[in-house]
Amino acid sequence: MSFFEQIEPLKLAALAEFAAAPDFAALEQAKGAHLGPQGRFTALLKQLGTLPKEEKPAAGKLVNLAKVELEAALTARRTELELKAALPKDPTDFTLPGRRRPLGKLHPLTRVTEDIVRIFRKLGFAVADGPEIEDEYHCFDALNTPADHPARDSQDTFYLNLDRAVPGAAGAPPPQTGRMLLRTHTSSVQIRVMQGQPPPIRIIVPGRVYRRDNADATHNPTFQQIEGLYVDKHVTVGDLKGTVEFVFKELLGADVKLRFRPHYFSYTEPSFEIDFSSPMVRKMGKEWLELAGCGMVHPKVFANVGYDPEIWTGWAFGFGIERIAMLRYEINDIRLFYENDTRFLRQF
Amino acid sequence: MKVTLNWLKQYVAFDWSPEELAERLTMIGIEVEGVQRLGGEFEGVVVAQVLTRDRHPNADRLSVCRVADGKGERQIVCGAQNFQAGDKVPLILPGASLPAKPGTPPFTIKVGKIRNVESHGMMCSPQELGLPEQIDGLLILSPDAVVGQPLAEYLGRPGSDVVYDLEITPNRPDLNSVVGIAREISAVTGNPLRLPEVTLPATTGAGSAESLVAVRLDAPELCPRYSARVIRGVKIGPSPAWLRQSLEKVGIRSISNVVDVTNFVMLEIGQPLHAFDYHLLTATNGGRPTIVVRRAADGEKFTTLDGKQRTLSPESLLIADEAKAIALAGVMGGQNTEINDQTVDVLLESAYFDPRNIRATAKKLELRTDASYRYERGADIGICDWASRRAAQLILQTAGGQLVDGVVDAFPQPPSHKQITLRHGKVNDLLGVRLSPTENVQHLQRLGLNVTIQNADEYCMVSIPSFRIDLKQEIDLIEEVARLHGINNIPATAPRAAKGFHPYDAVHDELADVRRILTGLGLNETQGQTLISDQSPGVVTTAPWTVLPLANPLSSDMNVLRPSLLPGLIATARHNLNRKNADLALFEIGRVFGQANGQAQEQRRLAFLLTGLRQAPFWSGTEREARCDIYDLKGLLEEFLEQFGFRGVAFSRRADSTALFLESATLQLGKNTLGEIGMLTPVVARANDLRDPVFLAELNLDLLLSLFRPSARSFKPLPAQPAIRRDVAMLVPEATTHEAVLAAVRQAKPANLESTQLFDVFRGKNVPPGQKSLAYAFTYRHAERTLTDADVNAAHEKLVELFKTNLQAVLREGGA
Repeated sequence: MSFFEQIEPLKLAALAEFAAAPDFAALEQAKGAHLGPQGRFTALLKQLGTLPKEEKPAAGKLVNLAKVELEAALTARRTELELKAALPKDPTDFTLPGRRRPLGKLHPLTRVTEDIVRIFRKLGFAVADGPEIEDEYHCFDALNTPADHPARDSQDTFYLNLDRAVPGAAGAPPPQTGRMLLRTHTSSVQIRVMQGQPPPIRIIVPGRVYRRDNADATHNPTFQQIEGLYVDKHVTVGDLKGTVEFVFKELLGADVKLRFRPHYFSYTEPSFEIDFSSPMVRKMGKEWLELAGCGMVHPKVFANVGYDPEIWTGWAFGFGIERIAMLRYEINDIRLFYENDTRFLRQF
Repeated sequence: MKVTLNWLKQYVAFDWSPEELAERLTMIGIEVEGVQRLGGEFEGVVVAQVLTRDRHPNADRLSVCRVADGKGERQIVCGAQNFQAGDKVPLILPGASLPAKPGTPPFTIKVGKIRNVESHGMMCSPQELGLPEQIDGLLILSPDAVVGQPLAEYLGRPGSDVVYDLEITPNRPDLNSVVGIAREISAVTGNPLRLPEVTLPATTGAGSAESLVAVRLDAPELCPRYSARVIRGVKIGPSPAWLRQSLEKVGIRSISNVVDVTNFVMLEIGQPLHAFDYHLLTATNGGRPTIVVRRAADGEKFTTLDGKQRTLSPESLLIADEAKAIALAGVMGGQNTEINDQTVDVLLESAYFDPRNIRATAKKLELRTDASYRYERGADIGICDWASRRAAQLILQTAGGQLVDGVVDAFPQPPSHKQITLRHGKVNDLLGVRLSPTENVQHLQRLGLNVTIQNADEYCMVSIPSFRIDLKQEIDLIEEVARLHGINNIPATAPRAAKGFHPYDAVHDELADVRRILTGLGLNETQGQTLISDQSPGVVTTAPWTVLPLANPLSSDMNVLRPSLLPGLIATARHNLNRKNADLALFEIGRVFGQANGQAQEQRRLAFLLTGLRQAPFWSGTEREARCDIYDLKGLLEEFLEQFGFRGVAFSRRADSTALFLESATLQLGKNTLGEIGMLTPVVARANDLRDPVFLAELNLDLLLSLFRPSARSFKPLPAQPAIRRDVAMLVPEATTHEAVLAAVRQAKPANLESTQLFDVFRGKNVPPGQKSLAYAFTYRHAERTLTDADVNAAHEKLVELFKTNLQAVLREGGA
């Protein structure tokens, strides 16, 4: 056989042995047999010098190409064997449950509050808060609630049993106006904010409020409201409608219909109740569901905080956060929010 | 407040369907809470007469009849046998339905063929009509029944009507009457309000009112008007059907003709009336009794109509004669003078009482009546006489008798009508509409307000009638315009964006950040009750605060404001454990309350609870059963505080157990106490069915938020030089804390020390009792150059020496 004829069979034999090597040891042995100092391919290389001068370049090129190919095959086979060795003895069962790092969940009322806050902030509203323990002035009088209004009744409102203050002692209370109570609505914050800063005003107030109701599926002595207040020049009922529609469509979906019914609240006039209608409401067998109360800030309320009602107008509205959460998540018992069963909390 | 469709139609014309009426009322601010249809039984069933009866050509048991239904003749196939030509029978017409039996759908009659003969309706048996009679065959009606008359009418059943249950807002007492509602409908439709014509007989010869009764107002501030009329010779008896039905449909029990009339007029116009038996009044001088309107004496006893004896105080107003009290003014009459079967002469009261006084009396006595309901919201002082005359008219109609001439009407100071100016520009400015002065004026006039136009373009003056006590200032008139214009017709304007401001706005975001970090760490957020029992575990306050109780708690379970979030978290744990949710990692952000020197205090806090398994359930590994320990909670706090921007918080162990904690520590940052952390004492754990150890922590969030934190993080270049690590393992006495080691490190202050990390705490083999082995890794690095062993050695050896001297440390193998 001529030198040229030997190259190809030798190469093929080596490739076959490399491919057949079952492990690293066999592969190394095969490498030695072909490419080692005593190897068959090495022997062929050594013959190169014996060739006639004119054949050398072509022969050298061919032999080198074959050698490169063999070395590449060797490397590839090594990688293959390496991967094979790395595999676990038994294949991984990817259907087994993973080792979880559970994310904590926000309380559903927090989620709903945050959603509402986000929507108002799109319109430039700032979040405000105020004390949950209030005096009668901020909770009722300043909001134009008559002195003998039933809402002030101890049947409906929680009053506090404060110790008698020692006059002149450190931290003596400021003069209070009326009895101390747990606020019955977030509207008391309207008064505090307007007393504290000049118009224009653009705030929302989420927070806890209290009514003296025994707990049942729809009542809890503690519940949460969110209040919006907007005071500026030239604010109209049209603005109120426009904002309310924007907020509730963002919150409940673009397919909700809203309607405004005239109503009565002492601190707004005109006052309205807002009903909404949606496929979900109709599924409940109703056409409309009450959602919120609202209205134009009563001139007397402005007068009480020292705003001139001839210059400033504004609107306020408020609604229950539990109610929105109950509608959104189809929760049928308000007490679930305050029991904090983790099977409940984990669902949101 | 209930009204019926037919009653309303007596005062105003409208052609709305019952549903549309409900919708219209709702949209002008009178919310319809319920709609109940009455009557309408036997719809499509008429009185019919059988003209002929022939045998069915194809069935022996059936007959084919020609029947007159009042409009024409029909062919009916019938299976009954008990009738003959000429009989009058009930006939149900095609399209009408037989009353449904419970649980079955109604059966609707259709034109159809029975054995090939057409039948256009069905003659009915009493059973088919749901009537009680049991007859084998058709119901045979009396021969004088009018053919074509609806069966309901023939049977004397009430006609159909619709009862509306309305929610009347407290500012609109005028709507507590049928006329008041009708007036609103009149305003919406523009159709005139038609009040019933009240004509009383001219001089009757029964004497004059003044000769029979006098009225004296001893407390005119509580009763500015009191009128009395007398009707003689009435015959007390049952009311006629129209009167009885009018009352019963709206839920008022019929009592007798005279009493029913007073109730009817109250419902009609909103003015409560009371009728006394004139002869039960104690007459004094000259046989003429005097009605005295006075305050009750302190402790005065009085028995009301319901038979209950009431003890009164001078805050309550009484109607009395000169000898005794006869009525609790505006609330309820007295038993001693009530109308009875023997009553012949009636004294009719129509008065106005101060709303606040009536409310106070009704509340104090817990006695709410239809009269007190109307008086306490504010009655119409101007309508007293009209109501009295209207009632007199109806009493004469229903109980006979003779009206005594005139009235005794004590009304010393009739109030003048309030005048309000309405600026047309203000209407448009506030509502966001463009209404013309003419439209505004028209809306107000339709409501029965008297508009005296003074300046057509700019404003008008409105005179407020006495029935609209809610209209006090311009804004009230603007609201009326808005209602009648229709809120739907006010265009919504797009929200105007601008920047709002409130200092809390930033706090809200910080709280959201707290929640983000904590949920990221795997804690679930809870929200507990604000009101808790003063017996809850952990109801403790930090001096100088003390617990703040409610003055009027609902129950002892909720009698104080929570002074801490921990009692709520313990209750939550108990609730969950009882439901087999044993593994809890919870946090709550909320306010706690207390008082200091008589002043209410609020503080925002953040609390944690951990119990149960440390990790989510897994199916392999030795750690999977591991329960949480105090270092799980401490680690959470450390990570939270660091992520939130606080470093260097020290945990300082309390020497003793507390009522809540077996062991605990306070968290200190400089001079500030941020909060506490601890393990729940087994006493409380057992009492709350908590089996695994429970770990709690609570931080003062207001304080945390007020402390300085770097607002922005600044980047530190990554180290370019290699570090050298030196490990130290040493035996120290048990009492030597990690903090003591760190203090020694701080004291030694080795050059180039980058970090100190504890990597092992060990007790047991090769560690003598009373000692523990601590192993630390110290990392040294220089910012600009590569450290050599020689560089590190000197500093490190000095550190180790300090451990030996300060901490009585004994170095273990491989140290230094």
